[in-house]
Amino acid sequence: MSTDDESFHPLGEEWEDELETMLDDTEYDSDLGMEMAQDAMRVTKGELSEAEFHERYHEDVMEEFGEDERPTKEAYEAAQEEAKGTVSNMLNAFDGDDGETRRETMKKMGVGAAAVGVGAFGAASNGPEQSVTAAEEGHGPRQETTEESDTQWGMTIDLERCDGCLSCMTACSEENDLDQGVNWMYVMAWEDENHHGQEGSEYDVYTDFNMGSDFNMLVRPCQHCTDAPCEKVCPTTARHTRDKDGLVLTDYDVCIGCRYCQVACPYGVNYFQWDEPDVAYEDIDGLEDPDNPDQITHAEYEHGERWVDSRAPRGTMSKCTMCPSMQDGKQGEDKVGTSACESACPPGAIQFGNVKDERSDPSQHREHPVKSRAIVHLTNSTDSTKTAPSADQINSALSEGDDLQTAIDQIEGLTVDILAIMKSIEMVSEGTEPGDEENNSILSAEQDILSAVEAFQQYVDLETEEAYSELGLGDGSEQQAHFRLEQYTGDPSSFQLLEDVGTNPNVTYLGQEPGPEAQQVEGPTKYEDVGLLDERQEYLDEGTVGRIDGVSL
Amino acid sequence: MSTKTPSEEDILRPINTLTKKYFILYGVAALGLVAFLVAWAYQLQQGLIVTGLGDWGSGGGSTWGLYIGAFIWWVGVAHGGIILSAAVRLLNMDRYMPVARLAEMTTIGGLSAAGFYILVHMGRPDRMVTSVIGHYHITVNNSPLVWDVTVITAYFVLSATYLGLTLRYDISRLRDDLPDMFEPVYKILTLGYTEAEDKVIDRMVWWLAAAVIIMAPLLLHGGVIPWLFALLPAMPGWTGAIQGPMFLSIALMSAISGIMIISYAFRRAYDWDHIITDDIFRGLLLWLGFFTLLFLWFQLQTIINGVFLGPTNKAVAIEAKIAHPIYQVAMTMIFGTLVYIFLQGIRPALFSKRRALIASVIVLTGTLTEKILFVVEGFLHPTFDIYANTPGTYFPSAIEWLSLVGTTGLVALLFLNLSKLVPVVELHAIEHLRGDHEHGEEATEPEVEA
Ligand code: SF4
Ligand code: SF4
Repeated sequence: MSTDDESFHPLGEEWEDELETMLDDTEYDSDLGMEMAQDAMRVTKGELSEAEFHERYHEDVMEEFGEDERPTKEAYEAAQEEAKGTVSNMLNAFDGDDGETRRETMKKMGVGAAAVGVGAFGAASNGPEQSVTAAEEGHGPRQETTEESDTQWGMTIDLERCDGCLSCMTACSEENDLDQGVNWMYVMAWEDENHHGQEGSEYDVYTDFNMGSDFNMLVRPCQHCTDAPCEKVCPTTARHTRDKDGLVLTDYDVCIGCRYCQVACPYGVNYFQWDEPDVAYEDIDGLEDPDNPDQITHAEYEHGERWVDSRAPRGTMSKCTMCPSMQDGKQGEDKVGTSACESACPPGAIQFGNVKDERSDPSQHREHPVKSRAIVHLTNSTDSTKTAPSADQINSALSEGDDLQTAIDQIEGLTVDILAIMKSIEMVSEGTEPGDEENNSILSAEQDILSAVEAFQQYVDLETEEAYSELGLGDGSEQQAHFRLEQYTGDPSSFQLLEDVGTNPNVTYLGQEPGPEAQQVEGPTKYEDVGLLDERQEYLDEGTVGRIDGVSL
Repeated sequence: MSTKTPSEEDILRPINTLTKKYFILYGVAALGLVAFLVAWAYQLQQGLIVTGLGDWGSGGGSTWGLYIGAFIWWVGVAHGGIILSAAVRLLNMDRYMPVARLAEMTTIGGLSAAGFYILVHMGRPDRMVTSVIGHYHITVNNSPLVWDVTVITAYFVLSATYLGLTLRYDISRLRDDLPDMFEPVYKILTLGYTEAEDKVIDRMVWWLAAAVIIMAPLLLHGGVIPWLFALLPAMPGWTGAIQGPMFLSIALMSAISGIMIISYAFRRAYDWDHIITDDIFRGLLLWLGFFTLLFLWFQLQTIINGVFLGPTNKAVAIEAKIAHPIYQVAMTMIFGTLVYIFLQGIRPALFSKRRALIASVIVLTGTLTEKILFVVEGFLHPTFDIYANTPGTYFPSAIEWLSLVGTTGLVALLFLNLSKLVPVVELHAIEHLRGDHEHGEEATEPEVEA
């Protein structure tokens, strides 16, 4: 998509010039027209809400055309209900009378809308919605987006921190109103020849960090592959990659339920909606604030652009979406760059964010696993017994002239160990500041630790030989600090699942990679204990007509 | 061998007679189709949950099953049919001319059944037009399923044209003996016909046949259809270049068997011993043996490639395949048939039409079983074989089984209807049989003719 291109219309600059000339020929204000057209395109991209669009142009349109039949905010919600294709509907809003000729309609639509509208009318043979949708999505040959977006949502998942509590799975199924057995997020314990669970565990001792886990875990959301085979094989473009942020999604309005995506995905992450979903369409919830048209339910959001969020309707394919309504800011700014599973994970094993941004959580976790693990452990994880004190806490607890031991004792919960790790983090830190466009929780936690260390050092000098030796930091070199951190967190290898298949997944794992013969084993938490169904077939079999029990091909 | 002389009257007999047996058969076929239509309506109302299908992976099911297996089987029958008929025309295998049109009609029937299966298989068949055609220009670049739909449509058009062109000759000559009530149909079929066009049509048909044969390995059953599976990287049960030849051999086996069954039925019903001769059955049986041999050879290649030092994922999938009792049964049946065909080749006394019929039924059952199993196998042992619930379970539901009855009914109805409308044996074949009798001499080696 030509996000940075001068032209706003997907058909390019030439097209716009032509339009402008055309608009100049009409009796109406062509500047207003072009401006409206630009904003109309922004609406289709989700950068602007429809209500805002109408708000912005209501007066102008009244002035220019003496009438405005577009809905105002009050009518907005009702209109949303019926809305299908954004552009065509917005245009319909201008078009009160069905009987009008194309020319009249275009005039009345306002020259601006015409810019978009011609595209829709021009390709009427394909059906206006499709041509516009195709244009909106920047569909040419699908795989090669002309211009790469600088956002790609993804995850780094720390398998050694996962304790198999299944909180992410339950959070996902609540967030998305999933049926029993539809486990978009799936967590499993596994064993293979080289990685036995119980006996041969890498950690023989229980530490606060490893939580004494006896299990090799695998956390399996959709990998939102850059070269997604599921998308390539889809006969309808229902399975598509959003140009703006690389999410691989299913358009529930287009999918024909052929299930080829499920067949082609090497990871087995797709779940078909074999029958009517348990949660009715009207009951799909989200952040509801009826007075605020921007804080809308999933259901309404879905019809805003393409319908891609939450559980699938009957007869279509579903899989992990990485919470597009959050990424689009529809659940509030603070949820951008987070996902339901990430927020629910007690040890912070799931780090979600923009994998193309080096400051994001997944990038930090992937590139600096040792340091990031320590940061997450000291600040971000709810089930850790160790917490780094804040600068404020330190300032209020300490006074000039305290020696190291007294200072540590004076701050609740602080130990030599924690301080040593904090200091080590400070020593290896490059001081990268978090970006402000999304949730960079690791870097901002790092900043907190840095200022806490700085605060501490106002009272006690930590850069003396004595302090170094007390903190176990040897000669105080960066290497020593790194070593100290490694002792604490381990130094995990990273991998991606089935790298050789060429899908280019956007989920990276830290920890042990399951070998080709790895088999799932019973994990620390039973699925049914947290209200989940593991083997969906048990449920599906109930609906099979003329089922013969126990017989299988 | 009969001494009767084939006549126009013979080939018009199906059109001008109406027997009780016909009605019974018609009723049974219609009942089968309607029963499945009702079942399908129920499936549409309830959702695909009425099938035995499920999600592979953590779900412990099979994503595709009998519907897709039967779909590729019918496409195979269809593609084999058109290849056969094209070969007859292209290579002047005159001996098989009497069954050439039956082969073309089998193609039309097979493609109809296959097309129907596509709809039945979908979660939202109502969106076929808007979703598939609306995005065709994009999806045709990537999706093997779109290639399939394209090719199937193209071959439907091609086969229908082919059939239509050859029908003009017959209808214009036999018009007086054809029932008046279908007059409009005949009018359309022979629109603008002049005898001068015969030569041109002959040429066209020859070129069409050439196109069919040339494209067979790539665009018919040796390419696009197996690519639906063979190109997917992470299902070792499916991947591999062998699937092209494998599918093509299965298609030809199924088509020959199908045509033998249909020919047998027509010969019996209309006393066509002198038209669809024993000789034709012998020849078809030998061809069947030839393709069966190829098929078993490809199977062997697949197996050896997997089990002998194969990569882990492939080895697991192939070992499971050969250990599967249904696979063993299907292969034994097919191998047994091959042995019979071989023996009757050496000792012609072992041949009988009934035995040829049984061989055909066995082969058709064997190939259908192989197809369904092949589809399901992919999901049983994927490369990412970590899930405790994989291999999952799958057994077709009553509705899925019924679809086989329904589509068979559909194809039978097509034949029953067409046989009342147009001659199912070409006039050319009759003319040829009359003018050239010594061709009836035993020539059991089809290769000789080819
Ligand atoms: S894991 Fe990759 S191939 Fe599978 S559904 Fe997700 S994006 Fe598609
Ligand atoms: S099931 Fe839907 S999303 Fe998946 S390949 Fe088919 S049409 Fe595309």
